[in-house]
Amino acid sequence: MTTQEPVVRVEGLTKSFGRFTAVDDVSFTVEANKIYGLLGRNGAGKTTIMQLLTGQQFATSGDIRVFGQAPVENAHVLQQMCFVKETQKYPDSFEPRHVLASAPWFFENWDSDFAERLVDDFRLPVRRRIKKLSRGQLSAVGVIVGLASRAPLTFFDEPYLGLDAVARQIFYDRLLEDYSDHPRTVILSTHLIDEVSNLLEHVLVIDEGRMLMDQDAEKLRGSASTVVGKASNVDAFVAGRDVISREGIGGLASATLGGLTAAERAAAAAAGLELSPVSLQQLIVQKTSSHTGSPEQDWKVRA
Amino acid sequence: MTAPASVGATSAVASLPERPAATRIWNVVRLHLVDSRTYIGIPWLIVGIAFVITVFISQIIGFTTGEMGSPDAIAGMRYSWAVLSPQWYLMIVAVQAVAFGFPFALGFGVTRRDFYLGTWLLFVLISATNGLAFTVLTQVEKITDGWWIHAYMFNALWLGIDGWLVDFFSFFVMQLLVLSLGASVATVYMRWRMPGMVVFWSSFALLIVGSIALITFTSSWPAVSVWFASQGIAGIFGWLLIPAVVSGLGGYLALRRSTPTN
Repeated sequence: MTTQEPVVRVEGLTKSFGRFTAVDDVSFTVEANKIYGLLGRNGAGKTTIMQLLTGQQFATSGDIRVFGQAPVENAHVLQQMCFVKETQKYPDSFEPRHVLASAPWFFENWDSDFAERLVDDFRLPVRRRIKKLSRGQLSAVGVIVGLASRAPLTFFDEPYLGLDAVARQIFYDRLLEDYSDHPRTVILSTHLIDEVSNLLEHVLVIDEGRMLMDQDAEKLRGSASTVVGKASNVDAFVAGRDVISREGIGGLASATLGGLTAAERAAAAAAGLELSPVSLQQLIVQKTSSHTGSPEQDWKVRA
Repeated sequence: MTAPASVGATSAVASLPERPAATRIWNVVRLHLVDSRTYIGIPWLIVGIAFVITVFISQIIGFTTGEMGSPDAIAGMRYSWAVLSPQWYLMIVAVQAVAFGFPFALGFGVTRRDFYLGTWLLFVLISATNGLAFTVLTQVEKITDGWWIHAYMFNALWLGIDGWLVDFFSFFVMQLLVLSLGASVATVYMRWRMPGMVVFWSSFALLIVGSIALITFTSSWPAVSVWFASQGIAGIFGWLLIPAVVSGLGGYLALRRSTPTN
């Protein structure tokens, strides 16, 4: 692996709001020039983590290093980041053109031509009050700032909210294009996992404030597969293996298993079973839903 | 393909060159002014409308009383508050500068310190500009005998009495007080939300009622009015610098630990 210092290093990070623990003893690192997915259900703590990394919230305990330094009130570190959150507030009278006019003063790498192209791509009305924009247009403002700022560490917080399918595809395309021309570190929070799964190089899954998964996306994809076939054959094949989930309809069944070797794959094919890859989304849904609803979790929410 | 310039910019150390503090603070001033309507367009539109109304009213009164331009009529117009017409709007603008401007600036990677210093620099600049503009307008109004039609709006209240320097100083302080109070109240909200508002406004009301009670019970009202009269216009506005600066410092302390609303 790389010996380079990580861009972000978080150790034992906890953030409580009164008696509610939004982020609970989380540790992770973020390596430079990769696209990270910060995934989790609503209220899992994704936005809070991003606010802590950008110095917008104060940690209750734990240590955060961004570019080797604590981010809170650190002008030099904050200058390297762009974080337009999903619920970003704008000055009352602002129109998108005011945001685009002021952004270059704060983002060293801002590319005005790129921003203009994105405005056309997203058909954003730049002379309309931001509070009168539709949800999708509001998201477009954040997406444009995030892309055109080319900040060394860029956060996208649920950037697709309200965007139509075409606009979402434009976002993914532009992000990949621009990222390959201008490598930078991107942390993308989303719950549309399948749509972005091809973009992601590393996956952080958070649930109820805890880090559930911190894995290379490629390895994660290969870490499980689904076998489909006659229920009796499936059950015979999965017996004694690590079954993540099993579903059945009539005489058919499908089971998701942990990583299979080539020999095991051949055995499955010989048993008349079909093998299909598991999507990132399915894998994460299965892992997070098996995790929720445990008595310990219920207790924690009420505590 | 050649390596793009920003590859080097994304190593693990913060590699974009650090902006000097003066630039960062000035950028906050520019951010507040990027929509020029907020601090310049709308306040002066309000002044313009107030002026038109003042002209109409002065002419209507002059026409009905037949006393156009008489010393009594001119003295009467001194009680018009039209010169302060944009101040309510500006106080709301100052509230919004923090309530909306602060969460927005944080998204642009601005530190709380730079945001507050930039916002205060803006307030000082706006107060100086408005002070200068209203001083000039007061003098012009006096020289032209009320714009040649005996309509007095700027030469009113305490303005135009003690000379242009006092006009400038007093208007500057008044403007700064309006803006800093608005911003500080919003900062208390950003820091302590609703409980902060309740505590702040109750203490404020108690302070006012308490002062009135103290003066009344000690039968000090004559002494108070003598004191005020002896201060003069410049003196009173000199004292008003204290609440302006105190609210400014208080706002800074509160904002240092504030977080944006979600």
